[in-house]
Amino acid sequence: MDKTSGLLGQPEGMDNVANERDTQKGKYMTFKSGSEYFGLEIQYVQQIIQFQAVTKIPETEDYIKGLINLRGKIVPVVDVRLRFHQGEYEYNDKTCILVINVKDTTVGLIVEQIAEVAEIKEENILPPPTIGRGDKGHNKYVYGIGKVGNSVKLLLDPEKLLYDDDPSDADQLKRAEEE
Amino acid sequence: MAGDFNTESMLDMYLFENGQLLEQLQETVLEQKDADCFDEDSINEIFRTMHTIKGSSGIMMFDNITAVSHKLEDVFFYLRESHPDNVPHVELVEHVLEVEDFISNEMEKIRNGDPVDGDASSIIADLDKFLNVIKNGGAAADGGEAPQNVHEEPKHFYIAPVATAASRFYKIFIHFFPETEMTNVHAYKAVYALKEIAEDILYSPEELLTDEKCSETILKEGFRILLQAQCTEEEVRELIGVGYDIEKVDVFECDANQFLLGFDFNDQEPPVPKIDLESSVEAIEAKQEAAQAAQAAQPAAEEKKPEAPKITPGDFVIQSKEPGKQKKLAKDKPKGEKAAFISVNVSKMDQLMDLIGELVISESVVLQSSDLKVPGLNLDNFNKAAAQLASISTDLQTVIMSMRMVPLTNTFQKMNRIVFDVSRKLGKDIEFVMVGDSTEVDKNIIEHISDPLMHLVRNAVDHGIETNEERQESGKMEKGKVTLSAKTEAGKVWISVEDNGTGLNREKILAKARKQGILDDNKPDAAYSDKEVYQFITLPGFSTNEQVTEYSGRGVGMDVVVQNIQAIGGALEIESTPGFGSVMSLKIPLTLAIIDGIVMEVGSSSFVMETGVIKQFIRVKEDMMIHEPNGDEFVMIRGDCFPVIRLGRWYDLDTYQESVEDGVMLILEVEDKKVCLLVDKLVGQQEIVVKPIPSYIKKVRGLSGCTQLGDGSIALILDAPGLVE
Repeated sequence: MDKTSGLLGQPEGMDNVANERDTQKGKYMTFKSGSEYFGLEIQYVQQIIQFQAVTKIPETEDYIKGLINLRGKIVPVVDVRLRFHQGEYEYNDKTCILVINVKDTTVGLIVEQIAEVAEIKEENILPPPTIGRGDKGHNKYVYGIGKVGNSVKLLLDPEKLLYDDDPSDADQLKRAEEE
Repeated sequence: MAGDFNTESMLDMYLFENGQLLEQLQETVLEQKDADCFDEDSINEIFRTMHTIKGSSGIMMFDNITAVSHKLEDVFFYLRESHPDNVPHVELVEHVLEVEDFISNEMEKIRNGDPVDGDASSIIADLDKFLNVIKNGGAAADGGEAPQNVHEEPKHFYIAPVATAASRFYKIFIHFFPETEMTNVHAYKAVYALKEIAEDILYSPEELLTDEKCSETILKEGFRILLQAQCTEEEVRELIGVGYDIEKVDVFECDANQFLLGFDFNDQEPPVPKIDLESSVEAIEAKQEAAQAAQAAQPAAEEKKPEAPKITPGDFVIQSKEPGKQKKLAKDKPKGEKAAFISVNVSKMDQLMDLIGELVISESVVLQSSDLKVPGLNLDNFNKAAAQLASISTDLQTVIMSMRMVPLTNTFQKMNRIVFDVSRKLGKDIEFVMVGDSTEVDKNIIEHISDPLMHLVRNAVDHGIETNEERQESGKMEKGKVTLSAKTEAGKVWISVEDNGTGLNREKILAKARKQGILDDNKPDAAYSDKEVYQFITLPGFSTNEQVTEYSGRGVGMDVVVQNIQAIGGALEIESTPGFGSVMSLKIPLTLAIIDGIVMEVGSSSFVMETGVIKQFIRVKEDMMIHEPNGDEFVMIRGDCFPVIRLGRWYDLDTYQESVEDGVMLILEVEDKKVCLLVDKLVGQQEIVVKPIPSYIKKVRGLSGCTQLGDGSIALILDAPGLVE
C-alpha cells in the first residue's frame, strides 16, 4: 500500500478535502488574452460560463464591465484585456466568463479564449523577469512564469488582478462586508 | 456520525431555546405585573420554564445558571403548592426579572465565548430571603405542609403535562420470567419507550435504577405503569415489546378518575390485579369489559370517586389533575401554538428567494420560448398548463416574501420591560399600553428599529411623564401613560410612542438653540414653526434637560435615533401639545428586501425607482426648459420650477434621448425637495427584490442596489435621496 501510493505520488486514503487540494495542486486554468497565455491556480476558479449580456454600471473603472446574473447571484465582471491595457476587442463566441472566488468575493473574468487546464510543476515556475519587458502592465499581476512543454504561461496572482497592486484593498473590502 | 455530536451545535441550541424561553417568561411576567398575584397558569409556566432551563444548564454545566434557576423554581414550587395569600407581588416580579436578567447576561457571555463567571450567590440569597418571607407569611394560611414535600418526595416533583380530551388512560402490568436478572433495567427500558408518547406516566416501584432491591419487587409483584397518552392499546404494547424476558404484558384502559387513583387499586379495584396475575390476556379483557359494563351500570361506583383523592396522600402530581384543573390546562392550548414556529437561518431564506427568482425567470424563458412561435401549433393545453404554472410560481413568491415578515410583538415586549424598570426606579406611576403589536415588518427592519424605539420609550418615561407630585400639582387626574402603537399605512409602518406628560417646551428648545447658535440671528423665534423647533431636539448634542439622569439627558440619543431611522429609509416626526404630552412617530418602510418600483430605460440600461418618491410623470415641451449658462437646467411645470437631472448625461451613458420631448420626466420628492429626472421611457411598475451591488464595485452616487428583472436582466436601483442631493 505504502509502496504504491509512494509510486503514484498521491497518498491514498486521505480525507476528501486534503485529497481535493492535492489533486488541484499544481494545476492551472490557462486562457488566452491578447497574444499571451495566462494561468490561474485552479482552486480559485468556480466555473466557466459562456459570455452573456452584461449590465453596465456607470462611473466605474473601464475594465469593470458591469454585472451579470449568475443564477440569482449578481456578480461583477472584469474584462481581463482591459485590465491588462491590451485594448478593446469584439466579444465573440469564444469569449468566456471565468468565475473566480478570491477571499469570498466572486468576480467574473471576461477572457478571450479558454485554453486548457495545465499541470505545472513547481520547478518549472520561474520568477518574472524584472527588466526588459515592454508590456509593463503585466508585471504587477504576474507572480511567476510557468513552462509547459515549449510554451510559457504567465501565472496570475488573482488578488492583485482584482484589487490592483494594493492588497490592503481586499482586506478593507472584506471588513466592510462583515459589518 | 461523530460530527453530529459537537458541542457547538448543542450550545447554539441551548442558547436559542433558552433565549426563547426567557423571552416568553418575561412576556408572561410583564403581562401580569400589575395584577395582585400570578394566576395559576403563569405560575405553572414560570415553574416549567425554570425547570427546563435548570435541566439544560445542568447538562451544559453552567452551574451558576443552574443554581439560580433552581432557586427560582423552588420559589414557584412553593407558590404552586401552598398558594400563600400574602405574596408581595411586585417584589416577586422583580425577583423573576432579576433572574431573567442574570441568565440572559450569562448567556450573552456564553455566546461571546467569555467565561461564565456571573456571581449568583447574591441573587440566590435574595431569593432565599424572599422564600422565607413568603413561607412565614403563608404558614398561617396554609399549615406549611407543602414545603416538606420538597424534601420528602422529590420523585413526584415533575411537571404535569397538558392533558387533552383525546388522552386515554392505561394501567399496564408487566411480569417478568422469574429467572430474569436485572429486571429493573428491563422495566426502565419499557418506561423509557413509553415516555415518547406519554403525556403523563407514573410507575411503581419508582427507584428503578438507584435501588437494586426493586428488581426483586418487580419479580415478585410485577412492574406497574400508569400511562396517560393519545394512543391505542396496540401501540402501547408495541412500544413495550415482548422480549425473551417479559412473561406477560397486560394493558388496561381506564378512565381519568381511575387514573387519578394512582396505584391504589387495592382499595378501589382489588379484583383487577388479582386477575392478571393468573389469567390469560383474553380472560382479563373479558373480565375488564364486564367490569366496565358493571361500572357503567352502577352509578354507585362513580360516587366513590370524589373520596378517592385522599387515598393517594402526598401525590400531588396526580392530585393536581382534578377534573377542573384539567380543563384549565387544556384551555391553555392556544398559548402552546407559539411552539408552531421554527426558526430558519436567514441565509437559507435568501437562498430560497434566489431560487424562486430563478424559477420565475426560467419559467418565462420556457413560456416565451421561440419554439412555441412556430405558426399552426395548437397550444391550448400548453397555455392552460402554463397559466397554472404561472399562478403557482406567483404564490410561491408571495409566500417567501411573507416569510420574511415578523410581528413587532417581541420588540414591543422589550419596551414594556423598559417602562417597568425605568418607571419604578424613577418612582413614577406609569401605565404602558401597546396597540397593534401584531403588525408585521421585515426582519431586517426590526433589528434596526429596536434601539431607536427603546430610546424614545425611555425618553417618554423619563422626560415626558412628570413625577407623581408634579402631576398632582398640575391637576392631572389620570395616571401617567405611555402608548406604543404600530400600524401599516400606505406601504409604510408607523410606530409611535405617545405620552400624556408635559410635552415639549418650545421656549426652552428655542432658548437652547439660540445659545448653541443653531438659529439664524436675524430670524425672530416666532418665525420657526413648531415642527422646525421640535426637529432641533434631534440635533447632536442637544438636550434641554439640565440634569443628566441615569437614563437620559446627555444629549446623545435623539440624533442617533434619527440616524438609525434614516439608515433604513425612515423618518421621525414629532408632535407635541404643551401640557398634554407628545407623540414621536417613526415612519419606516415595511421591508428593505422588496420595494415597489417603476422600471424605466435610458439607452440600453434599465433603472428602477421606488414608486413612493415619484410624485408625477410628465412629458415636457422644449419651451418649458430653462438653461443656465453653467449647464444647469430647470423646468417650469405649472408655475413651479424644478431642477432637472438627465439620467443619461448624469451617468454618461452611451445612448440616450437628447431631446426632452422624446423622454419622460419624473418629478421626485424627497423630504420636501423636488427634482425632475429625465429618462427615455417607462417600462412598468413591479415589485422588485433589492440586492446589494457587489462590494467589489465601489459606491456609485445615486445607486442603492440592483435587482433582477423578469427576463433575468439586471436593473440598477436609483437612490432618490442620493440624486436629490
